[in-house]
Formats: sequence, structure tokens, C-alpha cells
Amino acid sequence: MHELLLYGQLPAPRHEQVLKILAGYAAMQPRRVLERHILYKPTREPEEPGAHLGRGGGSQTVGGKPVKQQGTVKSLFYTRLVQKLDEGDFGRADEQPADSKRLSADVGSGEEPTWSFEFQDMPDTGDRGVSVRLASSTDLLSGDPHAWMVAMGPHQFVSEYYVEGHRFVHGNVVVFLHRILHEPGVRSLETTPKVDPPEFAALKPFDPSGAYILEAKVRVQDYNNQTVLEEGVNELKSFQKQMKGCVELDIPDRLSLDTRVRYRPPHLRAAQAVR
Amino acid sequence: MAGLDALSNVALRPWPAPEKEALSKEDIFAQVGQLTSERKQYLREITEKSLLEDIAAGRDGIVESVEEDKKEEVLSQAEMVEKLGKARHDVYSKLEWASFAAGNALNLVSLILSRDLSKHPNRKESENLYTPMFQQMKVPRGSLGLVKEALAEQPDPSKIRPDDPKKGQLEYIQRRKALVMKGSRIEALDWATDTLLKAATDLESNIRKETRYWSEMLSISDKGWPVQRTWKGIKNAPYAVKFGPPEASNQFRSRGLAPLRMDDDGSIILDPALFLKPKTLRVRISEDDNIMGASQATIHGALDELAIEKSIQLARASLFEEELFYEMSIESRQLLSYGVELRDTVIHVPVPGEHSVPRKILIDCIAQDDSSLVTSDASQSPLAQSIAEGLRILLAHEHRMRLFRRTRLPPPMTQHKRQQPTPPLLRTLLAMLSHMNAVNSLHVYLGTIVSTLRSAGLEVALQATREMEWEKLTETIKKADTTKDFTATDQLLATFIRPFEGKATLSLSSSVGSPPENVIIGTRTYIGPPHFGTEHKLTLPPSLIKLLNLEHDPQRQLKLTSTEEVKTYLDWILSLDISQTLLFQEYHGRSAIKSSEPCIWVVSRGSKKGFIKEDYVEIAIENATMKVTARAQGQLATGVAVESFTWNGTSGRPSLKDKVRSWLG
Repeated sequence: MHELLLYGQLPAPRHEQVLKILAGYAAMQPRRVLERHILYKPTREPEEPGAHLGRGGGSQTVGGKPVKQQGTVKSLFYTRLVQKLDEGDFGRADEQPADSKRLSADVGSGEEPTWSFEFQDMPDTGDRGVSVRLASSTDLLSGDPHAWMVAMGPHQFVSEYYVEGHRFVHGNVVVFLHRILHEPGVRSLETTPKVDPPEFAALKPFDPSGAYILEAKVRVQDYNNQTVLEEGVNELKSFQKQMKGCVELDIPDRLSLDTRVRYRPPHLRAAQAVR
Repeated sequence: MAGLDALSNVALRPWPAPEKEALSKEDIFAQVGQLTSERKQYLREITEKSLLEDIAAGRDGIVESVEEDKKEEVLSQAEMVEKLGKARHDVYSKLEWASFAAGNALNLVSLILSRDLSKHPNRKESENLYTPMFQQMKVPRGSLGLVKEALAEQPDPSKIRPDDPKKGQLEYIQRRKALVMKGSRIEALDWATDTLLKAATDLESNIRKETRYWSEMLSISDKGWPVQRTWKGIKNAPYAVKFGPPEASNQFRSRGLAPLRMDDDGSIILDPALFLKPKTLRVRISEDDNIMGASQATIHGALDELAIEKSIQLARASLFEEELFYEMSIESRQLLSYGVELRDTVIHVPVPGEHSVPRKILIDCIAQDDSSLVTSDASQSPLAQSIAEGLRILLAHEHRMRLFRRTRLPPPMTQHKRQQPTPPLLRTLLAMLSHMNAVNSLHVYLGTIVSTLRSAGLEVALQATREMEWEKLTETIKKADTTKDFTATDQLLATFIRPFEGKATLSLSSSVGSPPENVIIGTRTYIGPPHFGTEHKLTLPPSLIKLLNLEHDPQRQLKLTSTEEVKTYLDWILSLDISQTLLFQEYHGRSAIKSSEPCIWVVSRGSKKGFIKEDYVEIAIENATMKVTARAQGQLATGVAVESFTWNGTSGRPSLKDKVRSWLG
């Protein structure tokens, strides 16, 4: 399914005020959301751009059909695992020895799954007034998510960070007022995600100023259905107009939401591996 | 005067005549053509003489302006002079008038401009700006208005003699005049004071009204009612209180807003134009068109008499009841196939099940002070009251569910618009009645059967639940997860919205060892797909499956819709089991099953080799009685050809096995 997105930013002191305004607008209490995002990168290195063009050169076979050239190359994307957390999940690490525990995505009956595998494509070009991108989310129902990601793919762990915020729903628009937190200092040493999240107080905002991000999202099932797409775009735009003066919502920079893996020339790659 | 001199030099001359031009050739033709067409004569008949005669006679024809000249000469000299004099006089007077008017305009404008000399710095105040006549009048420059009083004749003081009566009269007149002036001044002052005092009292009363209004408004908003402006953009729109539930359907949400208006002494009244008498829901139970019971009204009192807080609550209750009735009438349209009808604003709900008299539930929404709430026969009133209360609870639950559904993450948009389902009010009621009815009748039957079989010495065990969830209600309350968005009450009520399921387990008397073979009867009720009502589901144990020669499928299930069917089927099945399994095992080796009826053939004692006599034993279960019949080809052990015995649940009877043994030997 496709997502239509608009982003806005607001400084930390205004968080309370905007939370109240959004609660009044959506006529509901804010829903607290705590998530942990774990980023994975495919182990296979992307090819050099342009490498595919010279391949499969002229065939000298007589009477045979020419070999069809590979028109496009499949890009490799960063994907992520998202785990929904509660307040009580933080800071349980000292209860049991960390080695014996593994991440578990098992769900009891009647509960909602906590782990999900998310993939987001790069936003489309073209100007509709909102940013459109393909996104898909798959819930994981059992097993060890990290082991699964490493085995299937294969992927390697890149980093993890935490997202905390509040979510509102108004009609089809999902408004997410959040900021990104991380545990400072331990990033480059990790190769697997932590089994238990650390204490909540130990997490610091990723953005030192503590600014919050407002994300307005409309999800559309079928991209090709023009009427539905138009309706979604209009709903999102009317939300933008309503929020004028409170928080300015804008199309994000397309390339900053790019999730493709970059090509690294071999000499740099070696340097990276050594480091 | 200078103007007149100018006039005397005016000379009057007639309008100059046009020069007589020679007509060119084309013009002559044109003129000739015109002449003939106008006079309708041929050209040769038109002569100068005839034309002149025409002129003299005054006939309308072509008149050249030259003729006018000639006409003028006709007048005599004296008449001419007279005429000229008259015209001259005329012009003169008109000119004088014009100059007078212009002088007036000049005086007026100059006087007005002289009022504010500072605005016209270029203008110098001089007397030349006014006409001489005006200057004589000595009007003070810069004044806007002037009242000219006719001054009383001031007599010459030298002419008055001291004892002249006229002097006293004059003084008297003068004194009166002074008094009159004073009097009118005093009157004017009086009137001014009166007006001021009135204004002051008005202001005071307005202030009092406003204070009262705002204090009442504060009290309302302090109690928690949301107060907002009636219209968003307009400045002085009155405040309105929102008393309707926020999750009501559209038209009721707009009715839930009432402007707060001020009445005469400042207290607030809810705008009475918006709603009429308060309504309440009434549930009546009728048996065969007689009203057996009715529910009570929940709210009492009329609107106007109560304090504002109470009247807001009253309005909210009334709106809630109306919304309840509205939702139910919409739902009743979907339930036509169950016999629910909407007739004359009353919903008729037939109570499912077999009764001696057809029972119906009547639901309607009436004005509250209707005195027909009191009925003669109130035997079923508690039931009616509970039904009414239950419906209200369900609607409140539905409102909370709407909030919950709206705040979840919405699914991605597709072209199918998501519709809000109607709240399950009548459906729950129907499901409850139907399920209770089915389960109760089934349990009654099972109870009697069990007692009958036990009285016959057979071992049966029965476990029955009316509805599985309702048994676990207390556990549900304890386990209710309050961290989710549901409250505990909502989770509890959600069990009533789901399909109902009851279960009864009857163990077969022929089962040997443990676990006993059970017939499981499940009862499921749901108004809607897939059941559309109550349904019984029978699960047969393997032994019976073998007996019936069905395919061996451990989940062998039969679906039966009415309790009657279940009863007859169970009767037959149990009799089959007793005869063909129990007795078969008893007389193992001697008995044979030859038909699919609940009967077996037992080789009788009296048979000799070569001549096999068989006795026929039959079991019939019907109407909670069990009857065993034995027929022999010759004689039974007791000496009679046919024997039968019935059990009907009374204890102290010999058991089945004993009886059969006594007959067969």
C-alpha cells in the first residue's frame, strides 16, 4: 500500500500546546506510542551504477535471438524491524542474565503482535502537494526476529533507535507527534540488537534541541485508483490547511527519505570493513 | 442699477432666416418629388399661388422659414412695440430673479465658509463677498442659524406718562414673558433629569441581569458541561451548551446543542424553541393484545420549572431516549424476517418460542408526561423495566465503541466506503430471548429424560451450561484488562454482542469404561450470518455412528434448528442406543439386530435346536417416558405373549435390565 506523507517540525517548548490542539482537533485523547526501530542492511553489496549496461554484450551467434539486456538493476534497500513497547519494558535488563534471553516475537492469543517488518520505498517524484511512497508492513507472529532477519536476506544489523510520541486519528489521517531517542555512546559496538531495552531515562533525544516531528499520514490501498488517491490527497491537504498557523506541514525532501543502499567503490569498502 | 443699464442695451432680433440658396439640379428633383408625394397632386397643379393660399389658410404643408418673416410683417407697428415691451419686461424680471437667487446662494455659501475660517486659509473675510442686501442685515458672520423674533413694540419712554394703565400692562406682559422663559427652561431641565434617571435605572437592571446570567453560565461550565459559541465566526453569537453525547449519530449531534438565552430577570433558559416535551422510551409487554406490563419513566418534571442544571440533564436524557428509539427503528427494518415490525411508531417484537398465547414486546417513544404509563396489570413490569434499562446500557456501550473504533489505526483507503454498522440493540434482545427460550426448553427436556432413565436404573450423566461466557462472567470481570482502550464494562458488554453458545453433554447409558461416550448438544444463537437465529448442533459419539452406519467421521455433527427436532431425534437416538447397544451387550450371543428401529431379537429360552424362536424387544421413548415392550412368538418367561412396562421418572420402579430379564428368562 502507499503512504501519503507530510512532515512538520516544532520546538520542544511547544509540545504541550500542540498536543492539546491536536487532541481537540481529533476529538480523542492522545495515544502514547513507544517503539524501537532496528535497521538492517542487506549483506550483498550493491553493484556499481552503470555496471549493468555494459554486460551481456553483442552476441555473435548467428540466427539466434540477441540476448536481452538487463534494463534495470534491482536496488537494495535498508529495511527495519519495529517493536512496540510499553513503559514497563524498559529497564528490565538487570533481572536476568542477558545471554540466555533471546528476542521473541511470540504472541499470545488475543494479543496484538508487537514485532513487524517494515519496508519503505523512496518517495515518488512528481508534485501532488504531498509525498507519496510505497510502504509495506508485515507482522511477525513467532520466533526470534533478529535471527530471522540475519538468516533470510541475508541482512546485517546496522543500528537501533527508539521512537516515543503520541498518535491521533482523524478520519483517514493518522497524525504522529514523535521524536527519536537513542542510547548515546554505544552505537558503533553493536552487532545485534539489545534483548531488553535500557532504562527510559538513559535514552537521549537524537536531536539535541529536543524538537518534535509531526507526521501526517494517509494510507491508500491501491495506487492506480485515481479517485481514491485524490480523496486521500485532499484529506491530507485539508489537514495541512487546518494546521496552518499552528504547525507548518510540508513535503519532505525526497532524497533525505531515500532508503536505498549506496554503492561504495571497493577501496572505500575495504577501509570500511577494516574500521 | 448697473444691471438695468445692461438690460436697456438688449436688442431683440428675430432668428436670422437661412439664405435662400439656389437649388441645384438634383435638389430640385428631390424637392419636386417631395412636394408631389406630400401634397398628392401632380406637379402641374402646384403653383406659387396655390401654395400661398395654403399658407394663408393655415394648412399644414411645406412651410419655408421665409414665410415666417413675411408673417411677422403682417403685424402692425404698434402691436410690435407692445409685444417688444412685454418681452423686455419679462426678460428683465427673470434676470432680476436670477440675480437674486445667485445672490442668495453667494450669501449662503459665504456664511457657511465664514464659520470655519481656518479651513480656508486663502479666503479673506471681507464684506465684499456678500451682496449689499445681506450686508445690511448685519447677520453675525460664522453663525449657523438665526431666529428672528419680532421684538415687542418698545414704546418711546418719553411718551409714557407715569400713571398710564398701559405701563402696568406692559410690565405685566414683560414679567410674564420672563416667567415663561424660566418655566420652559425648567421644564427642559426636568425632562433631562428624568431621562438620565431612567437611563441609570435601566443600566442598573441590565447590569444585574448580566451578572446573574454570567454567574449561572459559570456554574454550568463548572459542572463540566462544555459551553461553546453557537456560531463560530460571528462575534456576539450567544453561548450554547452541548449536552448530547459526542458520539451520537449525525442528526442527534446537532440537536445536542442548546443556546443559553437570558430571560427577564437574567436567569438562563434553554432555548425552548429547540425542543418540545421531553420524551422517554416505553417498553410494554403484551400477551394476546393485553398489556401485561410497562416500564417506568426515568425522568420527571417539566422543562421550565427546573433549575438550569436539571433542565440540561433532562434535555440530555430526552435526546438519548429519542436517539435510542431512532436507532432501533432503523434496526427493525433489517430484522423484518424475524417478525419485528414498525407499526404506527411502535416497534413490535414477537418473543420467540412456543407459548400458549403469543407474546409481544412493544417499544415506543412517548412524551414523558403522558399518563398512559400507568397500566392496570403490572405483572410483567419488572421484565419490561429491565429490557428498557438493558437497551439504554447497550446504546451507551455503542457510543463508547464508536469512539474506540474511530481512534484505531484506519485501514488503508480503498474505493469501498466504510459504513458504520447499526448498533446491535434489538438484535441482542432477540438473540437473548431466542437463546434462553431454546436452551431452557432443551434443558427441561434433558432433565426429564435423565430422571426417566435414572428411574429405569440406567446410568446417565448430564452437564449443561446455558451459555459458556455467562458462566465465566465473574472471571471476565476479574481478568478485565484495563490498560487497553476498553473499559471493563465495555469488555463485559462485548460478551453480549457476540454469538451465544450453550452446551449440554449427555452420557450414554450403554457406554462401558471411561471416558463415557457423550452426546454433545451445542446451542448457538446469533441474529445474522451464519445462523440467523438459534441452532442446535449435535455431536454423536463413535458408538452411535457405528450403529447408524454413518461414515466414521469423529466430528459427525448434525445441525437442527428447532428444539422439537432435537427432542425427537434424541428420543430416537437414545432408544436406539438402549436397545441396540445396551441390551445387545446384555444378551450378547443371543441377540441380533435386524432392523434399524430401536428393537432387537433375542433368541428365547424355549427354543430348541433346529427351531429358533425369537423374542422381540422394543424400546420407545416419547414425551419423557420410556416404554419397553417384549413380544414372543410363543410365550415369554412370564407366560404372556406381550409384555410392556413404562417408566416416567418416578422412583422405586424396577430397573430395565431386571424387567427384561424377567420376561426373557
